[in-house]
Amino acid sequence: MRDGRTIDLRPAGDDTWTGRFHAMGSPCELVCETTTRSVAQALTGQMAAEAWRIEDKFSRYLDRSVVHRINIAEGNPISVDDETADLIDFATRLYALSDGQFDISSGVLREVWRFDGSDRIPTRRQIDGILQRVGWRRVGWQRPTLQMPAGMQIDLGGIGKEYAVDRCAGLLRDADAVPCLVNFGGDLAASRAPTRRPCWKIAIEAETRNAAERILDLKEGALATSGDARRFLLKRGKRYSHILDPKTGWPVMDAPHSVTVAAPTCTEAGMLSTLAMLKGQAAEDFLDAQQVLYWCRR
Amino acid sequence: MKTNENLNIAAALATATCTLLGSAVPAVVSAQEAGEWEFNTSILYYGEDNDRVNDFSVSAIAKRMFADDRILSLGLTIDGLTGATPSGAIQQGVAQTFTRPSGNDAYTVPAGNLPLDDTFKDTRVALSASWQQPWGERNLVSAGGSFSKEYDYTHIGVNGRIARDFNQRNTTVSAGLALSMDNFDPVGGAPMPLTPMLDVGDISNRSGDQDKDVIDLVLGVTQVLRRDLVVQLNYSYSKSDGYLTDPYKVLSLVDGTSGDTLPRTPSGPGIEGPSHQFLFESRPDERTKHSVYAQAKYYLNGKVLDASYRYMTDDWDIDSHTVDLRYRLPFADSRYVEPHLRFYTQSAAEFYQLSLADSEPLPTYASADYRLGDFDAITAGVKYGWKTRKEHDMSVRVDFYQQNGSIPSGKIIGNQANRDNYPDLNALIVQFSYRF
Repeated sequence: MRDGRTIDLRPAGDDTWTGRFHAMGSPCELVCETTTRSVAQALTGQMAAEAWRIEDKFSRYLDRSVVHRINIAEGNPISVDDETADLIDFATRLYALSDGQFDISSGVLREVWRFDGSDRIPTRRQIDGILQRVGWRRVGWQRPTLQMPAGMQIDLGGIGKEYAVDRCAGLLRDADAVPCLVNFGGDLAASRAPTRRPCWKIAIEAETRNAAERILDLKEGALATSGDARRFLLKRGKRYSHILDPKTGWPVMDAPHSVTVAAPTCTEAGMLSTLAMLKGQAAEDFLDAQQVLYWCRR
Repeated sequence: MKTNENLNIAAALATATCTLLGSAVPAVVSAQEAGEWEFNTSILYYGEDNDRVNDFSVSAIAKRMFADDRILSLGLTIDGLTGATPSGAIQQGVAQTFTRPSGNDAYTVPAGNLPLDDTFKDTRVALSASWQQPWGERNLVSAGGSFSKEYDYTHIGVNGRIARDFNQRNTTVSAGLALSMDNFDPVGGAPMPLTPMLDVGDISNRSGDQDKDVIDLVLGVTQVLRRDLVVQLNYSYSKSDGYLTDPYKVLSLVDGTSGDTLPRTPSGPGIEGPSHQFLFESRPDERTKHSVYAQAKYYLNGKVLDASYRYMTDDWDIDSHTVDLRYRLPFADSRYVEPHLRFYTQSAAEFYQLSLADSEPLPTYASADYRLGDFDAITAGVKYGWKTRKEHDMSVRVDFYQQNGSIPSGKIIGNQANRDNYPDLNALIVQFSYRF
């Protein structure tokens, strides 16, 4: 057990309990349709355990994680377990589908791009240098063996949270639990349609101080939001969003402030919102073509 | 071409996700921006015993939520009133004849009966609209209008409110202002105050329509004390100007010793008219009310205790106290029962009289309207609520109301002491509500 791994329960209205905990760098909550505290406590305990398991296994910051093991392999082949292989398969498929724009090896770009609201833009030379260590096409992936050139790293942060939300929603369905809303830092899914209310009311936080939050009604399915609310660089009036295009090494320009997508699973919603951000100016065109429900803020 | 590529992405992504998540992955999504209409409808029956007032009311409030917490509300209420209401005249050992408010007809009340005016029938249609939205980060503003029309009464009103959150939204301070401009066009014209009820066909003491303006101001504080305890404190100020008299209410003019109503004969043969002397009531043309309201809501494992108290005082010398208690007890399947108790007591207006004595000079203001007298009332009932299959809220409420009034002995003259001067009033209230 790591420090800070606690859960907190509080009633939310007459027939709902909310369990809260912290995982994957985000506040997480499980809203349970039950009048019984112990039911909510047990469910939140199980969901937190799953979220922490996924965090421990895939966080690039933790020494004991699979991702860390891959990242320090220095060119040696690594054999991974089924779950990790499934995630890498998924990432590989997405790399192909996005024509290289979604790339789990692009994390190293953050060594030169630090999105802290400052005006520190890296030099072209720095970017070109780092791009030598980016590109999933350079990686040898023969399930279950991964062989990555030395200096390259992978980061499953772009999938992990959505994956965890779907895993938890799936566990709740399998256990035939009361209807719950799984919300990990704004990426969320309904385990099933609520029964004590027509739908879950979801407030999508405003990115800017002047905008009010947006309220969405979610009955079934999932929502995910990508945005650059707090992470960006500002130089000469130009806003550099934290969405980096792995093909150029530069931030995507003219991306919306945020994109929220509704889909049957949180993973689909999350990938679609991320891909939309990567389209920059064409985010809405992309989403329109996908025929998905979305809400963009510019 | 490009569109096809893009479409392939969504479909391919769905397949990839299915592979990733393995077992039964949901394939449905149902989401939308909150923005549908929400309807709150109710049917209310209010019935007094002894053939007094019956009110049947249907109301609907439609709410439309827009992005960014903006809300439009539209309301419609239709009321149908029938029955009879005390005219203000006292009982007599003999039958009493009255001219109807229209002045076109007369009716007779048997000996020993409380004089009720049974021409009391009206239909009221009321409309309201309001718009609410956040203003800045911590303020909520709303503005609205209201209009209602009955046969003899028209109301037009506007209102506005601002609320501001403090202290991490644990404290809300609000201020509201409402103005109303009403017009009273009584059947047969408004009688001059303290003039006698005249024979059928004689409208010489009637005048035209009358106006009334009301300003209401409410200042409030709502405080979340604990997660399970919310309290609210309001101060209200209300000032009415204009015609505040009830044109259909009279007082009996009585003998200063016996307390019996003075007899009267119509002005000629074949002419119908009052059998006794009745004077139309007279009220001040100004009324200022102050009231303080305190409410506490306590949440306890899904149960909700809602207790409130209101104190009202006005410059007509009416002081009232109201205590209202509700306790919501939930049980299975989101059903609940909610017992309700309400206590009310008020002191009489300074110009409230049972009757007017011929031995005394006429006062400037006088009314025998029982609603301005000393009385206590208890309301007791229960509400039962449940959810329909479509997750709509339904509830039925049944309340019993009992009012017991009394006349101070100093206002009772002679034979009046032997009569029931303030008959008890019992009423049944049944309300059915449906929210969807």
